[in-house]
Amino acid sequence: MKAIARLMMLGAGAGALLSAQEGQRPVFRVKVDMVVVTFTVTDSKGRYVSGLKPGDFRLLEDGIVQRIATFAEGSKPVVQVLEDGSTRPFISPDRAAPKPGPEPSADAFVGTNVFILFDTSNYMYRGFVYASDAIADFVRGLDRADSVAVYTFSRNLSRAAQLTRERNNAIGGLRKAVAGDDAALYNSLLLTLRDAAKVPGRKVVIVFSNGPDNASMIAPDDVRTVAEDEGIPLYVISTNDVNKDPISSAVFRRITSRTGGQAYWAKTWQKQVEAFESVREALGNSYTLTYYPQPNPNEGFRKIGVEVISDVARKLRVRARPGYRPRPGV
Amino acid sequence: MRAFGIIALAAVAAAYTLFGQDLAERARQRERSGDVQDARQILQRAARGAAHDAAALAAYAEFLDRYRDPGTRGAYERLLAALGPSEREQRVRVARRLLELDLLVGDRAAARKHLEAHRAAGGQLAVSPLPFERDQPATAGPSYIEIPGPLSSFERMAAVSQDVGPEDLLPALARNVVTNGYQASTSSEALEPTEYMKLIQRYLSQARELEKLAGAEKVIRIDACESTKTGELLRVLGYRIRGACGSELVLDTVNATRAFLTLDAGFPLAELEQALRTNRPFEHDFKPTRVAVLYGPDYWITSKEKQAAAFIDVFLSDPSLCRLYLGFSKLDRATADALRETAGMARLKPFGHVLDFFGGMFEIRGGKAEVPGGARCGPMWAEMVGVSPDQGAAFFERLLTRDDGWMASFFDALARINGPAKEYLTQPERMKRFYMAVRGRVTSPGPARPVFRSNTDMLLLTTRVWLEADGRPHVPGNLEVWKNLFIKHPHGKYDGRLTRAASGWKEADDLVEALFGLCRKAVENEPLKIYMALSDLNRRRPKPLEPATVDRLAREYRAFGAQYTIFSEAALADATVLQFLDTTQSISRIGDQLLRANVAGMMQAQVGLWQIFCRQGSIPPAEADQALAGLLTGIAKVRNSRELFDSGRAGVKLLLAATRSSERASPQDRLLELLAGVSQPGDREAQNQVTQEMMRLFEAQRLVRLDTLFELADHLEALSRGEKLNTALVNRLAARIGEIQLPRASLTSLEKNALAYGYWTERHIESQRKVNLRSASERAAKDPEEMRDIRGQLAPFLRDTLVGLNYLHYAPPGGQILQTNPVFVRSHDFLGVQGSQQTWRHTEVFGTGWPSSAGGRLEGSLSGLPYALAEAEQNFMVPAREQALIWGDLVPQLILSAKIPRWWNVTPAQMHWVGLHLRYGESLLAEAALDPRRREQLQETLERQAAPGRTHLVLQLLAESEVRAALDQVTPAELFLLAAAALAREKEAGGPLAGEIRRLERESPDRINYAAISRAFGTPKPTLTTSYQPELLHLRTFPTLMGFSSRIMAESWESNTLYWAALADEVHLPPAQLNLLIPEWTQKTVEKIFATHLEDWPAVLRSMRLVGEDVRAKMREQTAGEQRASE
Repeated sequence: MKAIARLMMLGAGAGALLSAQEGQRPVFRVKVDMVVVTFTVTDSKGRYVSGLKPGDFRLLEDGIVQRIATFAEGSKPVVQVLEDGSTRPFISPDRAAPKPGPEPSADAFVGTNVFILFDTSNYMYRGFVYASDAIADFVRGLDRADSVAVYTFSRNLSRAAQLTRERNNAIGGLRKAVAGDDAALYNSLLLTLRDAAKVPGRKVVIVFSNGPDNASMIAPDDVRTVAEDEGIPLYVISTNDVNKDPISSAVFRRITSRTGGQAYWAKTWQKQVEAFESVREALGNSYTLTYYPQPNPNEGFRKIGVEVISDVARKLRVRARPGYRPRPGV
Repeated sequence: MRAFGIIALAAVAAAYTLFGQDLAERARQRERSGDVQDARQILQRAARGAAHDAAALAAYAEFLDRYRDPGTRGAYERLLAALGPSEREQRVRVARRLLELDLLVGDRAAARKHLEAHRAAGGQLAVSPLPFERDQPATAGPSYIEIPGPLSSFERMAAVSQDVGPEDLLPALARNVVTNGYQASTSSEALEPTEYMKLIQRYLSQARELEKLAGAEKVIRIDACESTKTGELLRVLGYRIRGACGSELVLDTVNATRAFLTLDAGFPLAELEQALRTNRPFEHDFKPTRVAVLYGPDYWITSKEKQAAAFIDVFLSDPSLCRLYLGFSKLDRATADALRETAGMARLKPFGHVLDFFGGMFEIRGGKAEVPGGARCGPMWAEMVGVSPDQGAAFFERLLTRDDGWMASFFDALARINGPAKEYLTQPERMKRFYMAVRGRVTSPGPARPVFRSNTDMLLLTTRVWLEADGRPHVPGNLEVWKNLFIKHPHGKYDGRLTRAASGWKEADDLVEALFGLCRKAVENEPLKIYMALSDLNRRRPKPLEPATVDRLAREYRAFGAQYTIFSEAALADATVLQFLDTTQSISRIGDQLLRANVAGMMQAQVGLWQIFCRQGSIPPAEADQALAGLLTGIAKVRNSRELFDSGRAGVKLLLAATRSSERASPQDRLLELLAGVSQPGDREAQNQVTQEMMRLFEAQRLVRLDTLFELADHLEALSRGEKLNTALVNRLAARIGEIQLPRASLTSLEKNALAYGYWTERHIESQRKVNLRSASERAAKDPEEMRDIRGQLAPFLRDTLVGLNYLHYAPPGGQILQTNPVFVRSHDFLGVQGSQQTWRHTEVFGTGWPSSAGGRLEGSLSGLPYALAEAEQNFMVPAREQALIWGDLVPQLILSAKIPRWWNVTPAQMHWVGLHLRYGESLLAEAALDPRRREQLQETLERQAAPGRTHLVLQLLAESEVRAALDQVTPAELFLLAAAALAREKEAGGPLAGEIRRLERESPDRINYAAISRAFGTPKPTLTTSYQPELLHLRTFPTLMGFSSRIMAESWESNTLYWAALADEVHLPPAQLNLLIPEWTQKTVEKIFATHLEDWPAVLRSMRLVGEDVRAKMREQTAGEQRASE
């Protein structure tokens, strides 16, 4: 049990020996960690399908069937899936064997850790206050089990409010944000993902920006790769017209769909509120599975497939990250 | 103090029967071996075990004192209590030390107590009563105005650091108004306010409305949600209520302009909303802020203006007024007073820009102006300015108003320097001659007109001119070289007049005059740069460069000048310097662009490694020249990829041999080990951590190990002899190649079109991705020579691995780019955009922002790699406070200073010696508060580093017993110098701290001296000294300069490493840990900096000290935990 918690903390990764060295030389391996897959299931009309059980899913990695270790729906408590397919409540390691140290508590696996990344650069100057209102609304409406962090960025990232379940703290941090300067969206998104990756349990990153980036050293697809590998869905709410900046629009589409998230274009305040509502709905209706990868010689990109066994007619649509790369480690 | 040392030692000696000589010696031995914690415990146990043993208590207290331990005062207290009435003199000394320590921490109550103890024991102070004994402050306070609302809100809106207090607000605001407040109007000649200024003005208007709501009590109070006041408050704030009062209530924007001000000013909107939701009272203190105004508002604005608007509004609306205010705020009070009395505000206002940039060094003492060169130059200054320096303020007034600032800038440049260069430059006739050269015939526009000082070059020249033993300036090569350069310059004339004059030059002064003449040009001043670079090289050489070498280096500076830092790494023969230039030229002639990029990359990577190994002492100095010559010989012959690979491999072998590496060692592991740094056996753990971090980044960059490449090359050779293909080996490379991806497969056409990924970069990466050794070897199976050629395909991989090793060595803390962009090293563009010829230029960051690039990359040579990497990484640092941003231009240099030097060979005694200097420097400040004679001595040293304004502030604070506040104004580098000056002045005295410093010097004279400490704890200054060799130059902190922004200022900042060394000593860390901790502490310092403007180095100082406090607190917590555990 303890292993599960620790592995969930590590996020995704699996694999084999990369290059064995001799004697005292360090050995590079890919980490054999638990993989977290967060996804939604929708019907042919785009409505979320809820109430599915672990037994309803078949999980594949590079075509190899995987055994589901834990299962959760929305903000409901995580259950452990046993060998025979039955489930039992997930018991946290600290409850099972209390020990000092940074082991995650069972609470860590309930609800979603939501990281909001708010663009406060010069590009957002005009819509800054409305965006702030929309984000505040979203934070208020999150499920009680969810935790939320509010980060802002211009040329640098600012951790306006650390991850908390106290909504007032998050909104307080948000309302103290300062507007101005260049925009380094992808640098800041990367740092947000790095923070999110350290947190146990399910997490998502929601970017609120109108797209332009004039200061990043990192390309969007390098950031997307990190999100994919860490199993963190990205949601983007753009305050721009979809057609006004087609390059940013294409990037937003790609980085969200490849991580199991979604992009929204919401120029008006009302649309922004609706977009947030949609994100909230997606979070509430998402499923989270974890698994230990079966032996797999692939050291590169490993494809993840989630199938709904009961959906014989294949009318349901599963939106999940397409895969991940196992992490090398020393 | 001298007596104290003798008495304390006598006391210890007399009591050895109790304390035990062996115990003291044991503690000393532990300390000497670096086990300070153990030494401390020995002394602590001895002190605890004998509460009345003065010797044991003294030994323990002095030990704690040397390490700046927080328990020092307690230990001295116990010693004082243990001393009997007969030990009067000792009691006097201990009480005085306690008094000094109390003043250093600002504990006035304790200071009073220990002052009494001091007096009771018969002690006498030079000043009595001390100022803190008086109830009222001795000096009159400044005048104040009120601005509406809290200080923090105003500072947020005005982009002023939250660390700035109301006393210092106006100078900071004035600077921001001058630099950001106004812009040229498109419709008229007048200036128009920027968005920044409009926001401040709107904020003030909103704040006044809120002030009215706050009523007489100046508190915005909402008792209940339904209160009538709620609506009014929300209207002013630009919000409205959505939903009914209660838990459903939400505040929404209704007026975006007002709401923006509300948020930007940091109004507690979330708290207000929460109060309304819970129907609880809301209170927000909205008292106006009292802000100090120099000379009061009446001096600055007319009565008419006063009637029309508040002072703050007039101030904001007048950038000229702000400029003058800023200039005045830099002067020491006495000088400012004199200037104010002599020249009215209206008279000085048009020259505010000159006062701001060049008035900082003005000083009037006893009614006379202090001038560079002192009394011997008085008549010449009188002649040049037109008023005698004896007339103090009138002299400065005339200086300000002459020639649009040229003479003031000349005065400033000379006033900033000390030593022989100042003596030379201020010889009266010479001084006038140089002034005339820099002034020129047309004086407008003057050097204070642009946003930055445009006399950058003059400041650099006066700082760096290097004099020979005979007092004449050094001329690299000889005068003929320089005459030729000016007359027959290959890239055209520098200056027609100087070209004509050059043929008549007879002495070094003629050249220096010409260099001053070029300083007035705002454009690139190449001859000065050449002169400074070559002087720098000669300064470090045992024998100056030959005239022929200087001539060539001067002529080829434009093309290869960025590479000249290489020549300062070791004492190179002239032939090797010329061989370097030959090699670069031959590489530049290679027609095949991809091959040229690879050869240039391979050469620069190998030379880069050679530089690192020379700097770290891995290549013995005597062999450095030969090693570089060997590398160059190999690479110069390369004509194809196969030769390139062979040359690269031979270069690695040569580097390994030069570093005395075992032939059996794995090249990859050995190079990583060497790059991490040579360490002592006890430091292996720290070294392993450095190596592991490099390996992590090596993997993230998907680089190919040298072992693999060399094994493959050997295998191809074996195949050419008919051996069988080793599939596993070939697959290892194939697997790595498979990981090299350009993120383009999924890009849209629009994205691809918008990208400026870099043509040659892309081709370099694509060429690697196409390598298929198996198929190539199958095709070449029948031709052994063709089979051997295949190893040429490995050359780009070898280049990248060697370039990558350079990158890893300099990787800034965090290393987010290297960790995330797997082709960052491979993307290094050695050619640059078509036609730009970047190959031998400084490294530059290119392609930030999406979609202009697929991730930024570096281009140019590797000569500026440490700075460029830090520059690229700086925006990944996360400021600790909202609104603060990472300080571009300064931060890369701070990071560079933390990454280039390594401290593996530093001894605990060296570190302690630095710590003792800083501690002694602090003590000197405390002594100066008690003794005016000490203050005079302190002034003598401090004024060589600090501007008169700061020097006088420190002296004033000390005179008022405000030692802690004075300490805040003095940098660690200055404390170091104060101690050094006191030690030099008083050969024997100085008390236990000075005694300990001298004892350490005696014990290891070869390692503990100022030159060795300069090498160990200095900082690299590539721009200022054309070298990456760390050193302490003890320069004044530079201002921002045109063309360099804060970079030169950062290079002149030497406090960090000294402070970190003292901190590590204080918390008893081994020196090897500095290799891990200095980068980490530097990153934390950078993240905590909250600066207002580009010259705000006090913000760096504050931040550094905050990090120091955090480290101390954590270490104390850890020590306490360990003690609890052991008990």
